[in-house]
Amino acid sequence: MSPAAIERPMLESACSKSSDESRRSFANLRGVQWRTDLGILPPLSSSTIDDLRKVTADSRRRYACLRRHLLVDPHLPKDGSNSPNLAIDNPLSQNPDSTWGRFFRNAELEKTVDQDLSRLYPEHGNYFQSTGCQGMLRRILLLWCLRHPEYGYRQGMHELLAPLLYVLHVDVERLSEVRKEYEDHFTDKFDGLSFQENDLRYNFDFKKYLDSMEDEIGSHGNATKVRSLDELDPEIQTIVLLSDAYGAEGELGIVLSEKFMEHDAYCMFDALMNGAHGAVAMADFFSPSPVGGSHSGLPPVIEASAALYHLLSVVDSSLHSHLVELGVEPQYFALRWLRVLFGREFSLENLLLIWDEIFAADKNKLEKGAGDDTGSTFGIFSSPQGALISAFAVSMILYLRSSLLSTENATICLQRLLKFPENIDLRKLIGKAKSLQALALGPSISSSSPRCGGAYNHSKSMVVRSHTLPSDSISPKTPLNMVPDSYWEEKWRVLHKAAEQRNGSSGKQNPTPKKGWTEKVRLSLSRTASDPSPAKAGCGNDHKPSVRRRLLEDLSQELGLDEDTEKAGCDEVSGQKDHICKVVEVENQDGVNNDFTCVAEERCLSGIAGSEENSSLFSDPSSPLSGANNHENDSEKSSVASNSSIDETDDHPEANHEDTTLPVSHLPNNATLNSGDNNEATGKSLAVPKERKLLSGKFQWFWKFGRSNDGEETSEKGNGALDVTKSANDAGSQSSTVCSSVDGSCYSSTTGDLVDQNMMGSLRNLGHSMLEHIQVIESVFQQDRVQVGSSDNFSKNVLVGKGQVTAMTALKELRKISNLLSEM
Amino acid sequence: MVLVLAIGDLHIPHRAADLPPKFKSMLVPGKIQHIICTGNLCIKEVHDYLKSLCPDLHITHGEYDEDSRYPETKTLSIGQFKLGICHGHQVIPWGDLDSLAMLQRQLDVDILVTGHTHQFKAYKHEGGVVINPGSATGAYSSFTYDVNPSFVLMDIDGLRVVVYVYELIDGEVKVDKIDFKKTATTRSSN
Repeated sequence: MSPAAIERPMLESACSKSSDESRRSFANLRGVQWRTDLGILPPLSSSTIDDLRKVTADSRRRYACLRRHLLVDPHLPKDGSNSPNLAIDNPLSQNPDSTWGRFFRNAELEKTVDQDLSRLYPEHGNYFQSTGCQGMLRRILLLWCLRHPEYGYRQGMHELLAPLLYVLHVDVERLSEVRKEYEDHFTDKFDGLSFQENDLRYNFDFKKYLDSMEDEIGSHGNATKVRSLDELDPEIQTIVLLSDAYGAEGELGIVLSEKFMEHDAYCMFDALMNGAHGAVAMADFFSPSPVGGSHSGLPPVIEASAALYHLLSVVDSSLHSHLVELGVEPQYFALRWLRVLFGREFSLENLLLIWDEIFAADKNKLEKGAGDDTGSTFGIFSSPQGALISAFAVSMILYLRSSLLSTENATICLQRLLKFPENIDLRKLIGKAKSLQALALGPSISSSSPRCGGAYNHSKSMVVRSHTLPSDSISPKTPLNMVPDSYWEEKWRVLHKAAEQRNGSSGKQNPTPKKGWTEKVRLSLSRTASDPSPAKAGCGNDHKPSVRRRLLEDLSQELGLDEDTEKAGCDEVSGQKDHICKVVEVENQDGVNNDFTCVAEERCLSGIAGSEENSSLFSDPSSPLSGANNHENDSEKSSVASNSSIDETDDHPEANHEDTTLPVSHLPNNATLNSGDNNEATGKSLAVPKERKLLSGKFQWFWKFGRSNDGEETSEKGNGALDVTKSANDAGSQSSTVCSSVDGSCYSSTTGDLVDQNMMGSLRNLGHSMLEHIQVIESVFQQDRVQVGSSDNFSKNVLVGKGQVTAMTALKELRKISNLLSEM
Repeated sequence: MVLVLAIGDLHIPHRAADLPPKFKSMLVPGKIQHIICTGNLCIKEVHDYLKSLCPDLHITHGEYDEDSRYPETKTLSIGQFKLGICHGHQVIPWGDLDSLAMLQRQLDVDILVTGHTHQFKAYKHEGGVVINPGSATGAYSSFTYDVNPSFVLMDIDGLRVVVYVYELIDGEVKVDKIDFKKTATTRSSN
C-alpha cells in the first residue's frame, strides 16, 4: 500500500482497486481499519482471514495475562502459596512490595484516573459515562500505567483512549446490525431449525414447530434470500468470516467482539502510545524530559510545538511573526492539540475523520539526505505521519489567520486558538494539511535554521540552553548574506537602518539609537571581537552587560514608585518586548524584573529608543512597578524616545538647565539636612555640563526614590512632600529627558576616548550617588525623629514604617551600587 | 474490602506515655475506614490522634476515660456484619466467655469487641466472634502481669472477615491472621 495510492474512502471516492479493496472492505469498520493502521492487525491484502484472527487472539491473550498479573486482589494468596509471610503481607505493612502495598497504590492511581474519567465526553455521556465503559476505560488506563511506570498517568491519556473504545463499540454495533440482517450466516441451523429455539427440553410442541416452519418460509420470502457466503457483498462477507464462531481461534478470534472490546482497546491504545512500527509515539508527548536522540534537549512536546511554528514560519511568515511578537508561544495551545491529537478541538465525528487520516499516514521514517548534515532538528518531521500531524496543526492555525491577525492581545489570540470554531469544513482542513505535509517533508525545512529555538524555552531548566541556542543559531558559519537571517537579526538590522536614516533628520516619533555607557562598553567589546554585526554582539554577548543591567534594574524594582504617566498604546512594542523577555530570561523568574530585562533587551535589539542603559535606568523606575506594566514601560520608552529625539536639537543645554533646576528646586522643600545635597548639586552644576547633568540626573533619580517613598501616602510630614511627589511624578518624564539629553550629549561625541572619560565620569557619579544615599538614610532617620516628636501616635507608626522602608531601600541601592562598582 | 481498626486500653497518660513507635509508624491515615475503640484512652489528645487516622471513630466508655460522654455500649454494621463495642469492665467476671456471650446476645451482634483485660483474644463463640484487641500500649493491668502491646485490624469483605493481630513481642511486630466466615443464615428476630 504505497502512500500515493492511499485515498480515504470516507472522504473521497476510491480509485485504484488493488490497494483499496482491502480498505473498502473495512470502510465502515473503523475499529478494524485503525487496528490495521496502528499495526496490530496485518493488512488484509497480505494476509488471510485466519491470520487476522490469530493475531487478534494473541493480542487479547497478552492483555488477559497482563490483567491477571497486575490487578491485585490481596485476598488471593500471592504466587499460589497458602501461607503468605504475614509480616509483609498485612494491610498495614510498610513494605512496598507487599500485595497490600500494591493494592493501595493501585487504589490511588484509580482515584486519579477516575477524576478524569468522570469528566470525559459529557455530551456523549450515554455511552462514555455508562458504568461498563467507565470500568473498561479505568482498567485499561490503570494497566497501561502500571505497565509503563516511567510515564505514569497523565491527564489526556483518557481522551486518547476514549475514541478508540468508541470505534470498537461502533463496530460491534454494526456487527449486530449485520447479524440481524443476515442471521442465517451467524446462527447455527440444524435441520432448518434455529437451535436456540429447540433446546434440550424435548417437549416437542408440534404446533409450535409448524408455526416456526411457516415463519421461516415466510421470512425467506420477504427478506433477503439465503445466499451462500460467496454471494454476499464482500464487506458483509468479511464481517461474517471475521465473526464466525468456528473460525480460527474460535471465539477468541472473532475480530469484532463485544466480549473482548477491552482487550482490543488496550492493544490499540498501547500501539498508539508506544508508536508501534515507527508511528509517532504519543507517550513521548507526555514525558517531561527530553527523549534520547533528540537534537535539542527539549521535551518532545515542546520540540514538536517548535516544529509547528517553524513550519508556520515557512508557510506564512507574517502570521508567524505576528504570533511571535505577541508572545504567543506554540506550546500554550499546541500542548493540548498534540497530547490529545486534536481530541479537544473537534467534535467526536470530526475527530474520527481526522484520526482516519493520521493513522493512515505513512509511518516510515525518512532517510536523511547525504548532504543534510545538520539534519532536521525536529523529530516530528522525520516521518510522514509526524509531518501530517504538524501540518494539520498548522492548517488549523492558518484557518484562524484572519482572527489572529486582527487582535494585538496575546490572551485573545490564545483564546481563539484554544476555542476552535465548531462548524468547519473538515475536508478543506485536511486537504490543506496534506499539502503542507509535503512541504514539511521537503528538504527546505531542515536547511533553514530553526528560528530562535531558544525563544521557545521558558522553563527554568532550559535556561542555559536558551542562551546557547540563539547564539548558536545566530553565529553563522557562512557569511551573513547567504544564510537566511534569524528573525531578530533581521529585525534589528531593519530598525537600525531606519533609525540611522532618521538620525539625520529630526523630530520624528521613532527614536534614534542612543548609547549609554554600558552600550558603549558593549560597542567597544564588539569592536574588539571579530563579529561584524553589532546585533550579534548585542545578542551574543549578553551575559556581562545583561547582568549589570539586571542589577540596575533590580535597583529600580526595589523602589516602587507610583507613576501616572500617560499611557501610550504601544502594544506592538510591548509584544516585542515580551518576546525578547523570554529570549534573555536568565535567572529571573520575577515577572517584573522580566519586564525590565525585556525593556533593556529590546532596546538593544530593536533599536527603539536606543539601548541606553541610563535611559532605561531612569525611565523604568519612574514607571510603576506593580504587576507587569508593559504599558507604562512603553509610555516611558516612547516618552523617552520622543524626548530624546527632541533633544537632538541644539536646545540641549537650555533644556537641561531648566530640567535640572526643577529637581534642584525640590530639594529646598525638604528638611534642612538636604541642603547639603542641594549645595552639592548646585555646586556640581557649575562643573562640566555633561557631568553635571549626568550626575544630577542620577542624583535626582535616586533622590526622587527616597522622597517619593516617603511621599507615597498623604504624608503628615508637612514637608510639602505631596508637592514633591507630584513634581517628582511630573519630573519623571523630565528626568528621563534630562538623562536622555545627557546621553544625547554624550552620544554626540562618540569616540573611544570619550568612552573612557564617560566611564570615569560615571564611576564618579556612582560614588556621589552613594554618598547621597547615605545622606538620604540619615535624613530619613532625622526626619523620623523630628516627626515623632511633633506628630501624634498614629502618624508616628506610619512614619517610622515609612522611614524604615526608605532606609531599607536606600541600603539596598547602596549594596547594588557597590556590586556594580566591584564589577567594573 | 473494608479495613476496621480495633484498638483500646491505651491508658495515656496515666500508665503509658504513647503508642510504641513501631505501631505508630504503621498507623497511617488513608488506609483504614473505621476505628473501633474499646475505651480507656484516656485523654482527648488520644481521641484526636485516632480521629486523624480515620474520621469514622466509635468509642465506648472505659472506667478511666476523662470524657464521660462516651456511651457504655455501641453497635454498628459494616458490610454484612453487625459489630458491638463495649469496654468490658461492666461485664463481670472480667473476660469471662459466658458473660461476654450474654452481652453479645443482648446486643445482637455478630462481632463483639471488648477490652479491659489487656490481653488479646479472638475466638468464635456460639455463632459469633469475640475479639479483645488487648492494650495498644501494653499498659499495666490489674488483671495480668503478662501484657504485650497489641491491636487488631479487621478486613471485612462480604461474608468473610479476616482478623489481623499485631503484637509487639520483644520489640518486634508480629502479625497473625485469623479467618472467620459468617454463615449466611437468616436470623429470626424474636
